[in-house]
Amino acid sequence: MIFAIQNELNFMSAFIQKILWEIINQNASETETSWLTQKSNSEPLELMTAFVACPRFLSKKLIIVKPETASQLNEAIAGFSVEGWSLVRLARVWLLTHLDASDKETYIKHINTLFDTAEMNELVALYSALPILTYPEQWLFRATDAVRSNMGFVFDAIALRNPYPAKYFNEAAWNQLVMKTIFNDKPIHFIDGLNERQNKNLALILSDFAHERWAAGRSVAPQVWRLTSSFLDETLLSDIQHLLKSGNIENQQVAAIASVESGYQPAIDLLAQYPELKKAVASNELTWADFETKDLNTYVPKP
Amino acid sequence: MCLNHNENTPNPSHFEESEGNNAPAHRDIAWNEYSELIKGMRFFDPHIHMVSRTTDDYQAMYQAGIVALIEPAFWVGQPRTGLASFKDYYSSLVGWERFRSSQFGIKHYCTMGLNSREANNEPLAEQVMEILPLYAYKEGVVGIGEIGFDDQTPAEEKYYRLQLELAKKANLPVQIHTPHRDKKKGTERSMAIALEHGLDPSWVIVDHNNEETVKSVLDQGFYAAFTIYPFTKMGNERMVKVVEQYGPERIMVNSAADWGISDPLAIPKTAALMKMRGISDETIKKVTYQNAIDAFGKSGQIDVSDFEQPTESDHTAKFHGNSILRGGQQPVANKNSLLIQ
Repeated sequence: MIFAIQNELNFMSAFIQKILWEIINQNASETETSWLTQKSNSEPLELMTAFVACPRFLSKKLIIVKPETASQLNEAIAGFSVEGWSLVRLARVWLLTHLDASDKETYIKHINTLFDTAEMNELVALYSALPILTYPEQWLFRATDAVRSNMGFVFDAIALRNPYPAKYFNEAAWNQLVMKTIFNDKPIHFIDGLNERQNKNLALILSDFAHERWAAGRSVAPQVWRLTSSFLDETLLSDIQHLLKSGNIENQQVAAIASVESGYQPAIDLLAQYPELKKAVASNELTWADFETKDLNTYVPKP
Repeated sequence: MCLNHNENTPNPSHFEESEGNNAPAHRDIAWNEYSELIKGMRFFDPHIHMVSRTTDDYQAMYQAGIVALIEPAFWVGQPRTGLASFKDYYSSLVGWERFRSSQFGIKHYCTMGLNSREANNEPLAEQVMEILPLYAYKEGVVGIGEIGFDDQTPAEEKYYRLQLELAKKANLPVQIHTPHRDKKKGTERSMAIALEHGLDPSWVIVDHNNEETVKSVLDQGFYAAFTIYPFTKMGNERMVKVVEQYGPERIMVNSAADWGISDPLAIPKTAALMKMRGISDETIKKVTYQNAIDAFGKSGQIDVSDFEQPTESDHTAKFHGNSILRGGQQPVANKNSLLIQ
């Protein structure tokens, strides 16, 4: 059984490796691909040095990914995406798939060495690679450490468009990730598994957080209320009420969506006082997608 | 290990040694008096220790037109006791500090090296030399530095030579710190050794020059860097005279601002002073921007398009090839307001 799973994993990583190589080929010059080919077949230490040295041999540019290739990747590992990556980041992740994993201890030692001496962009590549590294459970502490990082790009590499946390984080670690994303004014709709990993504790932490923000005269990004709709109760209902009475149209709109989505009778009754909002939600004129803002700034008080 | 010979003076800094005259050579000049003079100019500070500076400094530097900087690895004010603190320091130069700088719209490069003071702790220096190559090849590392002599001991010479060899192997420029005491001889010795190791002098930046050292440095084909540092090193009025005398070729100005009394705006202020003295814009650009890029750009790690297009709102995104997110650019708080919101 274990053997079968391991086999399936090997097959999967070979497949991923192949697609990544296709994308590299579509985006790199011949000199670049031949350098990469040579390094990918070398001894671990040389391969690790190549991982570090990538920016010295590869051009600094963003890659372009064909839609069909992107969906192939997503089929292989749900949520895994290379969209918006640089060529260097992609090449680094691809090089990591060539690191010999047959001896678990050595493999882990090598990856840890790369983590311990990494600069910021190397960290970004390492965290992006977590979903396709061998022995995924080994990297759990590293992954939670990335959530602790104050380097925005490192944090983004684990929190956004990365399927690793949803799959391996426990509830407390997951909630910390989501709350720190909100706290840092980053767009939560890029968190992979956001809907699947919703939970009551998270909704209540969010409620407390909103109260602190309101007390300080600051705001909360409207779309975060999507995390509460499955758990509306008396406490959360008072927040919905606060949003409806806030006089801010976006706040009112999200409160309406959350109320309808919740199916919680007191919330639906409350919404009866706002027939236009109710209608907009019922007719699908208003959805969460309307609030998936990328450029947030909830700290600066609004006049 | 402490080589500070004047413990009695307050604020022993990067340039703790005075040359006998403590009269301020720095001109008092307020931002609103010189901002017009340097409007539209772009500056590159090739020597500044940002780990010791505040966010106010970053914001003032950005406002004054500093678009990129180089942070050389140096002594942290007291001797390190183990390899791990070297490792963490080096990592911070390519990690947290680089990110912090990007948040303020300033491109951050660094040089990596074992400084001369700590070369004297040989057991530790040995270990540092083992990990140094790991950092030398990192993205944005534009040289080996700052290395050279402090006390001019045999140990300092040994590690200086080893690091010159590393620079050759990694194809990187060298940033040489020249000593405060016995400076003239120390500078000559540093250059002679670099030439002995076969380094091309146009790949070597000799730092902390003064009127006494500059001629020989330029004559031998090296780059001559000048540190504008109040009280103990070059004042910027003296700097203007040097440029008037020697012209702009292979001369660059830096602040070397650190944890001592120093000025992160040394370059913009010096540029303003040059402008007042009628030095041409072309010359000013060379010594406050272009020459540093030409010298350290030999590393292949400086892409001027990273900082030459002033798209303010999108600075951080450009640095990291990530156009999706704004990455948390720091908001600017109104410093003149009593209220903190």
